[in-house]
Amino acid sequence: MGTVEDARQGTGRISGALTGPDVPSPRPRRRAAEPDRVRTVIRTIGEVLITLGVVVLLFVVYEVYVTDVISAGLQQDATKQLDDRWKTPEQGPERVDHFDGLNEGEGFAKIYIPAFGADYHFTVIEGTSERSLEIGPGHYLDTDYPGQPGNFAVAGHRVGKGAPFNDLDLLSSCDAIVVETQNAWYIYRMLPKKDEVANWASVKQGKPACNATGSQGQPQAVNPLPGEYEQTVGMEIVSPTQGAVIAPVPHKPGTKISKGEQAALLTLTTCHPKFSDRQRLIVHGVLVDQWTKNPAEPDKRPAELQEG
Amino acid sequence: MYAWIWRHLPGPLAVRVGLAVALVAGVVALLMFVIFPWLEPLLPFNNVTAG
Repeated sequence: MGTVEDARQGTGRISGALTGPDVPSPRPRRRAAEPDRVRTVIRTIGEVLITLGVVVLLFVVYEVYVTDVISAGLQQDATKQLDDRWKTPEQGPERVDHFDGLNEGEGFAKIYIPAFGADYHFTVIEGTSERSLEIGPGHYLDTDYPGQPGNFAVAGHRVGKGAPFNDLDLLSSCDAIVVETQNAWYIYRMLPKKDEVANWASVKQGKPACNATGSQGQPQAVNPLPGEYEQTVGMEIVSPTQGAVIAPVPHKPGTKISKGEQAALLTLTTCHPKFSDRQRLIVHGVLVDQWTKNPAEPDKRPAELQEG
Repeated sequence: MYAWIWRHLPGPLAVRVGLAVALVAGVVALLMFVIFPWLEPLLPFNNVTAG
């Protein structure tokens, strides 16, 4: 070490001698330490700023990709648990769905949206807490269950965490939203959009999905809902505080319509616009068909799953 | 900062490069699995429920 230092000092002396007496000789090393420290501080600040930039980019990667991978695993586990549970036969002779005693975070139904592709399906999880929604679309605790009169309301992430409702804005009226429970299949179809309500008869003509026939050969008519349901249209964008969109009669939380007379609706909610939580994108559907699974034909699936 | 870390890594070049990669991987893992999951609910990106 000592020899290296000596050599350096030697070099300084030689170069000083070469520049001549008019030119100021190079500063001795002890005074050079001051600008060096300034340079180190500035360099460190720069490095910290670049590092923070990289961290922000990493956060985007986390939000858009890593959460997808984590959620895919959770969703797979939930689906497997649900399948195992469905395999064990129900107690008693009646094959009727009952949803009491569900724990938050537990899967209880599967949702299929054929318009998003034949392989689009998610296990619906009870509850809309952060943890539930990480696993899959979450059922609002105080809303109704599939097939029941009232509103079966489900929230789902738009970006990251599996993004089940990423393309919700691309749904169009009459698109099928199929819900499978242990014992039954429920076919919902998206209601007419607000701008389609006025000339619904002609819009309906052009869409095969609006004129589909059901499991019993009956027409699966989708029509604008009357009366108190006037504000319940297929798609709407609302502020995050408008909880009335998931009310049994949407936008009419204080309705006088008795439970038995209420329409069986489905409501999907997600954030809007993408990457923001400024608003909520809401899709309303109405139950157009339902049938009980036949134990003799466990693999029979609704024809609606082929639409899309 | 990075130069300081580099100077304090022990061993020959190959070992230093290995250690540096391990450090970066450790920091990324800490961000991805601890810090970001904690931070994410506090940010206004992904609230999907109404009401």
